[in-house]
Amino acid sequence: MLSRRRIDWVIYAAFIVLIMVFPLIMDSFWLNRLAKYLVFGMLGIAVALSWGYAGILNLGQGLFFGAGAYMLAMSLKLASTTSLQQGSDKPVPDFMLWNAEPGAKTELCCINKASFLWLPFQSQWFGVAMALVLPVLIAFVLGSIVFRKRISGVFVSIITLALVLLVRLIMIDAQPVTNGFNGLTDLGWFKLGEFEFDPYVVPTYYLIAISLSVVLVLARLLVETRAGVILQAIRDDQNRARYLGFDVPAYQTFFFAVSALIAGFAGMLYVIVSEFASPTFMDLSFSITMVVWAAVGGRASILGACIGAILINMISATVSETEGFAEAWKAIIGLVFVLVVLYLPRGIAGLAHDLIDRFVARRTPDRTRALRVNGASSQLAE
Amino acid sequence: MAQAALTIDGLSVDFEGFKAVNGVSMIVEDGELRVLLGANGAGKTTLMDLISGKTRSTGGRVFLHDTDITNWEEHRIARAGIGRKFQIPSVFKELTVRRNLEVASCTSPSVFANLGFGFPAKAKVDEVLELIGLTDEANRVAAYLSHGQTQWLELGLLLTQDPKIILLDEPTAGMTQAETHKTSLIVNNLKGRHTIIVVEHDMAFVREIAERITVLHLGQVLAEGSVSEIETDPKVKQAYLGSKGIT
Ligand SMILES: Nc1ncnc2c1ncn2[C@@H]1O[C@H](COP(=O)(O)OP(=O)(O)OP(=O)(O)O)[C@@H](O)[C@H]1O
Ligand SMILES: [Mg+2]
Repeated sequence: MLSRRRIDWVIYAAFIVLIMVFPLIMDSFWLNRLAKYLVFGMLGIAVALSWGYAGILNLGQGLFFGAGAYMLAMSLKLASTTSLQQGSDKPVPDFMLWNAEPGAKTELCCINKASFLWLPFQSQWFGVAMALVLPVLIAFVLGSIVFRKRISGVFVSIITLALVLLVRLIMIDAQPVTNGFNGLTDLGWFKLGEFEFDPYVVPTYYLIAISLSVVLVLARLLVETRAGVILQAIRDDQNRARYLGFDVPAYQTFFFAVSALIAGFAGMLYVIVSEFASPTFMDLSFSITMVVWAAVGGRASILGACIGAILINMISATVSETEGFAEAWKAIIGLVFVLVVLYLPRGIAGLAHDLIDRFVARRTPDRTRALRVNGASSQLAE
Repeated sequence: MAQAALTIDGLSVDFEGFKAVNGVSMIVEDGELRVLLGANGAGKTTLMDLISGKTRSTGGRVFLHDTDITNWEEHRIARAGIGRKFQIPSVFKELTVRRNLEVASCTSPSVFANLGFGFPAKAKVDEVLELIGLTDEANRVAAYLSHGQTQWLELGLLLTQDPKIILLDEPTAGMTQAETHKTSLIVNNLKGRHTIIVVEHDMAFVREIAERITVLHLGQVLAEGSVSEIETDPKVKQAYLGSKGIT
C-alpha cells in the first residue's frame, strides 16, 4: 500500500539522487557554492531536530557551528604552507608572529601565553575529533543544567542567545590565539590519506553531499525510534511524559547534544569548502537565519528544513547577482518568513504533506474515509 | 487481610505558612477504589501532588507497599508504580491516539534503551483502544479529539502504563451525563486490577463507583467510611452545609 511514510522515503531518495547528479551539470564555481548550501542544509536538520522535534528553540546554534568550524580550522591553519614559513621547523600561525612580543620564541609552545593550546591541533584528526566532541560537550553541560532546572520555552532561547554572543565576544577578545575579528584564514586543505580536498573539485563536493545524505537519513531514523517518539511526546506535554515515568531532562539533553553534534559537523565541513573560520559564524543574525530556513522549509520535517536552507540560499545567491536587488532581497526574505509563520506554520514540508495526503486519500478506496464518517456519526449517536 | 498498597502517614505541606495538606494519614488496600471528597480548596489535588512527587512534602511519609517513596522525583515514583491523571486533561496533542498509547506502553525509561524501532505492546494498545472506545480514532491526531475523548485517552495512557496505583483527579470534569456514565464504566472495569484513588465532585458518579470514601476538609481528614456512612455523617454534613451539601 502507498503509505505516507513510504512516500516520504521515496522523496528522501529522490533528494539524495538529485544532489548526487549536480556535478554532472554544474561548473566548479557553482559546485563549491552548492557544497556550502548543502552544509547549511545540514544546519537546517540540526534546527529541525531541536526546534521541531524537541520543542527547544535554540537561538545560539551558531555556537556549535562555530565550535566545529574553529576546531578544524586550527588544524588546517597549521597545515597551511604559510604556517611552515615562519622561520621555525614546526608550523606556527602567521598572525601569532604579527602580534608576538619582541623576543618571543617562534614556537607554538610559547610564542604567547595561550598558544600551547594549539599544540595538539598539529594532528588534523585531533581537530576533527574536537570539532565533534566540543559541541557535544558544551550541549551536554548546558542541557544538563538548563533542562534539569526545568527551564523551558523562551527562556532556553534567551540563554542560548546570550551564550553565543558571549562566546563570540570572547573569541574576538582572545586575539592572540584566535586572530580576533579576522578569524582563521589562509588554511591548508583537508587531507584523507594522500588525497587533498581542494574546495573546487568534484570529490570535495561529494564529501559534503555524502555527509549530508548520511546525516539526513540517520536523523530521520533517529526521530522514528522509540526515543524519538518519546521526545515528541515530551515536546507536546512534558509533565504528562514525566508522570508516565520518563526522565524528561535526559531525553532533552540527548537530542540537544545530537543537534549540536550535527551543527558542529556542519561547521567542520564548512571550513573544508570555504577555507576560513570567523566570529561571524557566531553572529546572532546567522543563528536566526538558520531558524528562518527551518521555519520556511518546515521545522517539523527533517528534509523540509534541509531543503528550506538550500533553496533560500540558492535563490538568494541568484537574486543578489542581479544588480540593485541584493538589498531588496533581504526585505523579501523577512517578508516570506512572516508570511510562512502566519499562514504556513508547517512550512513547505507541511504543504507538501497535505498534498500527499490528498493524493493518498484519492488513491485508496473509500474505506478509510467511510470509517471516519462512521466514527463521527457514532460519536453523534451517543 | 488485604495488603496495604499505599500508606500515607501524617503527610503535610506548608506553602509559606499555609498548610494545604495538614497531617493526612490513610491506608489504601491493594485493589481498593477510594474516593476523595471535599469542597473546593480542601487539598485533594495537593494530596495527589504530594503522592506523585509534583509537590515536595514538608512532613510525613508515603509508602508504596513497603517502599518509602516520599519526595522521590516524579518519574521515579511513576516507574515505582503510581500513575496519575490530571485535573486538566493532558495528552500528547500532536501525536495520533495510537502513538499516545504506544508512548505509554514503553517499559524502559532510558534514552539509550529506546534507540530501537517499534513498540512491542501492540496487543495491549489495541485492548486499551477498545476499552476506552477510541478504536476508530486510533489514527487521528489527539488535538482533534473532543473533550470527553481526550479525557478517555488520558485514562488510556494510564491503562497502558499499567501502574499498581492510579490517581484520578476529577476524571469526569466537564463531561456530559452520557460521557460521565461511560467513564464510570471504564473506571469500574479497572476495579480489582488496580488500586485506584479518585477525586470527584459528581455524587452520581461517586455512587456508581465508590466503595470507601475519605472526606478532606481544610487539608485534614474529616471522615472515612462507606458511601452511606459518609452521606449520613453529621460532621460531613456540617462541613458541606454552608455550601450546597452533598447532593
Ligand atoms: N503551590 C501552591 N502554593 C500556594 N498555595 C497552594 C499551592 N497549591 C495549592 N494551594 C492552595 O492549597 C489549597 C488546596 O488546593 P487544592 O488544589 O489541593 O484543592 P482541591 O481540593 O483540589 O480543590 P478543587 O476541588 O477546587 O480542585 C488551595 O487553597 C490552594 O489555593
Ligand atoms: Mg483539585
